[in-house]
Amino acid sequence: MGSICFDKVDKVFGAGSGVLKALEDINLIVADKEFVAIVGPSGCGKTTCLRMVAGFEAPSAGTISVDGKVIIAPGPDRAVVFQQFALFPWKTVRGNIEMGLRNKNMPRAQRAPLVEGALKLMNLESHAEAFPHQLSGGMQQRVAIARAYVLDPAVLLMDEPFGALDAQTRVVMQEELVRLARLNPRTVLFITHSVEEAVYLADRVAIMSRRPGRIKGIVDIKAVRLAEQWDKSERIEDVMERESFVHLRSNIWKSLREEK
Amino acid sequence: MQAFAETWEGQGDMRPRMRRTFVAVTTLSALGVAWFVLTTETGLISSGRFPDPAATWAAMRQLAGPGYAGSTLVVHVAQSLKLVLGGFLFASALGVSVGLLMGWNRKAEALINPVFLLLRPIPPLAWIPLAILWLGLGDAAKIMVIVIAAFVPSVINTSTGVRTIDPTIVEAARMLGTPHWRYMSEVLVPASLPAIFTGLRLSLQAAWTTLVAAELVGALAGIGLVLNVAQQDIYPAMILSAMFVVGVLGWLMTLLLGLVESYALGWRTA
Ligand SMILES: Nc1ncnc2c1ncn2[C@@H]1O[C@H](COP(=O)(O)OP(=O)(O)OP(=O)(O)O)[C@@H](O)[C@H]1O
Ligand SMILES: [Mg+2]
Repeated sequence: MGSICFDKVDKVFGAGSGVLKALEDINLIVADKEFVAIVGPSGCGKTTCLRMVAGFEAPSAGTISVDGKVIIAPGPDRAVVFQQFALFPWKTVRGNIEMGLRNKNMPRAQRAPLVEGALKLMNLESHAEAFPHQLSGGMQQRVAIARAYVLDPAVLLMDEPFGALDAQTRVVMQEELVRLARLNPRTVLFITHSVEEAVYLADRVAIMSRRPGRIKGIVDIKAVRLAEQWDKSERIEDVMERESFVHLRSNIWKSLREEK
Repeated sequence: MQAFAETWEGQGDMRPRMRRTFVAVTTLSALGVAWFVLTTETGLISSGRFPDPAATWAAMRQLAGPGYAGSTLVVHVAQSLKLVLGGFLFASALGVSVGLLMGWNRKAEALINPVFLLLRPIPPLAWIPLAILWLGLGDAAKIMVIVIAAFVPSVINTSTGVRTIDPTIVEAARMLGTPHWRYMSEVLVPASLPAIFTGLRLSLQAAWTTLVAAELVGALAGIGLVLNVAQQDIYPAMILSAMFVVGVLGWLMTLLLGLVESYALGWRTA
């Protein structure tokens, strides 16, 4: 289970003369196990949307609920993968991944196989005892994803998780995320600056307008992906060369361009 | 100069640690030689103003062997270490706790900070009369003064460390559902540890600085007493010896604290 529902959400920052309307009338339903990407111009409020689902920030009007429950605080049912990884530098890879499970008071014997599974899933087995600073950026982000996945969260929230990575690592991580999403489907809310990334990863792409941010359109990707059998292509560049992919990408791109 | 630069280049493959030791030994040796040359060799500085190495060595042996100011070196050192260690440990336990509380909880900070700001400008030594009135001439009064001096840097650095914690780390901990006590012990403290240790080092220094002054009043033993008596006896070599002892002890304790720090922050160099 894990559906997200934005119901007439506004978000205003500051007060008096410094008031800033960041989001206006956001309505969006992310279905259970659906992967939705949000794209939009810088400063349009994408991060704010995600932070409200995470529970770090409260809406100024309207409600956000997960599985019908209105969000009031952060919690492990909504795992966040941060752009800057946000790993605990004084904990090993294993310690980082284990933290959320320990917080659930899960006994060690029950934790161990889950942690091993997460390490294996993200190809981190040989680095379990390393500290984050000993890992490359791509590996650190894999730890962050493992740390989120192992919680078995209702929803996964990712704010430009690959933004800090170099182009090559980024591609590897995108392929990995697709593999993960097929293997182990989750409700994902994913923010990105890259239209290609959004089209490649998501079931649907939500396009936001300039500030105050609104959802100006939603593009269905999944239907096309299934019809055109993108998943038959092993590599990301093969998918991206397909006509159906290029078509979707340029449509979204044009819609975004109007906002710049 | 040229020759020195060349040998210096030659040290390029030395490990940084060895290199630092080498520099330290060189500097100290140079100072020792300069001391010897300026006093014994050339007499540029008369022994009445500043004792020469031989006189200092004699005073040192007197302090160690027969003793001075009523006790031998071991007794004096034991007494001073008792005060410094007692004061430092008490002050740092209290200081780190208060600092954590202030950095963690806004209300606690709002409550404590005004008192703290008012008390801070008062020199720790100004507490000596009150300490003696309250606790008499014994060790307790001296430890109190040391605690007051050593407390401040621990509080300031700890609360700064807590307040400057990376906010995304805090959010990560909240997202993972970290309970309060674990947040304190596994997130807040480790994140603040570098700042906490900076505070502890400054606290240790403050403890030593205050010790000598605290021991000027009604002490029966201690390095401070040695200094005081040596001044009354107009015995510069003994004064220098006692200062030397303070320097070495302070240095050793800082070294020890450094070891504790590198153990506690082992993940940084792992
Ligand atoms: N805590 C805050 N206080 C005041 N204003 C804020 C706060 N957080 C965000 N804002 C403002 O709200 C607007 C939306 O910010 P947000 O970070 O959500 O944008 P974004 O779409 O994620 O941008 P980017 O693509 O650059 O990451 C911005 O104008 C930002 O300055
Ligand atoms: Mg953002």
